Amino acid sequence: MSEKQTTTSAAFLATLKRDLLIAFKKKNDIVNPFMFFIIVVSLFPIGISPESDRLTEIAAGVIWISVLLASMLSMDNLYRADFEDGSLEQLLLSPHPLFFLVLAKNISHWLVSGLPVVLVSPLLAYMLALPDEAYLTLVLSLLLGTPIMSLVGSIAVALTVGLGSRGLILAVITLPMSVPVLIFGTLAVQSTLNSQSPLGYLSLMLVMLSVSVSLAPLASAAALKISVN
Amino acid sequence: MWLWFSKLGSPKWFYELSGKWLPWLVAAMVVFMTVGLVWGLLFLPPDYQQGFTSRILIVHVAVAGTSLAFFPLLLVSGTITLVWRMKLADMVAKNAAILGAWFSFITLATGSLWGSVMWGTWWEWTDSRLVSMLFQLFLLLGVISLRSALEDSETAAKACALLSIVGCINVVIIKYSVEWWNTLHQVSSPVSMDTQSPNGPEFWIATLVMIVAVYLFLSVSLILSTRNEILERERRSQWVQDLVSKS
Repeated sequence: MSEKQTTTSAAFLATLKRDLLIAFKKKNDIVNPFMFFIIVVSLFPIGISPESDRLTEIAAGVIWISVLLASMLSMDNLYRADFEDGSLEQLLLSPHPLFFLVLAKNISHWLVSGLPVVLVSPLLAYMLALPDEAYLTLVLSLLLGTPIMSLVGSIAVALTVGLGSRGLILAVITLPMSVPVLIFGTLAVQSTLNSQSPLGYLSLMLVMLSVSVSLAPLASAAALKISVN
Repeated sequence: MWLWFSKLGSPKWFYELSGKWLPWLVAAMVVFMTVGLVWGLLFLPPDYQQGFTSRILIVHVAVAGTSLAFFPLLLVSGTITLVWRMKLADMVAKNAAILGAWFSFITLATGSLWGSVMWGTWWEWTDSRLVSMLFQLFLLLGVISLRSALEDSETAAKACALLSIVGCINVVIIKYSVEWWNTLHQVSSPVSMDTQSPNGPEFWIATLVMIVAVYLFLSVSLILSTRNEILERERRSQWVQDLVSKS
């Protein structure tokens, strides 16, 4: 049998392309978390106070927590459809390191669920009366923070992929783990508001991102192997 | 060394050995616990600043110190489960997670009892230890709920082992980030945790006795629950059936 050898980078790109294609075919999965994010953010002024002074204080925290919740909801379909139709098993059987395939899936997930949220965040920040000078910091912190959440959340999704109903257990596992990202993300914005440099926090987030890029897919791969036997 | 190691993994061997140790451990625990509690809670002279409230700290410090041991314990047993597939490690891990959640809860409860008198507040977000202990409790609850959600016990063992390892790394990161968060945000520090300074040696000896007592309590309850787990999981094996028919 003539077998065409594929390189790992080709497999990586193929997985990435496949996942993006599936995401664009099933637009609901992209649109719903995004709408969820916008709706949750717009509930806060109604629930807390419409005064712009108070909104300024809470804006960064509100956006960050809504991002956390939205990314957690969108995580749910990271491996599920693949698990149900059996393509996840094919992924596990492939000769390429699972690390890169999982990384490709995480990147594509971030591109369709994390990036739109980051892009729309300045608009919501404006609605929450965040001062102009903090926009850039907010976007940068989200740009660094949302991939961390995708990568770390992927571990929990991989662990629970075989479960029938798992919406809440996913939250119980992932939300406590996102505390460091939340702390540094909001601190970066706060320090800009106090006219200090946010660079320290942003670089710490960059460290966390590089650590999670290199370690989290390993854990996700191990978790997938445990869940799918 | 390897023979010993693989022997340790056998539930039967552990059951027999722990059965021999248990009376001694229980006796030591009772002695230390009685001395620590009676002396610490009834006879210890009141602190010159805190009055009798300082007696809460005897229990609180001991429980808090012990509850820090749970994630390292889960890390070790999780690694053993994943690397050597040792069933015993998972049985320990299962009960350690539950005990750890209780210990974290008791730490928070005794801490806020003390805090409600000394700080004037039950809960203080500006104190990093409270917040990181709270999140340790949440992470442990996550491990427990993952285990109860997974039906297949072997999958559950490995999944919980992995989650415990990730959680242990995470708890360290959370601890330091929370510390940073509050030290930078702390506008006024109400009371620092280190108010237990010039107390004379009695306080420290009492605390030490209590720490030993709580660690013994931890070992006894972990061993008891692990033995229970062994009997439940090995109920079909011959030696358990012999044991049951004998008694």
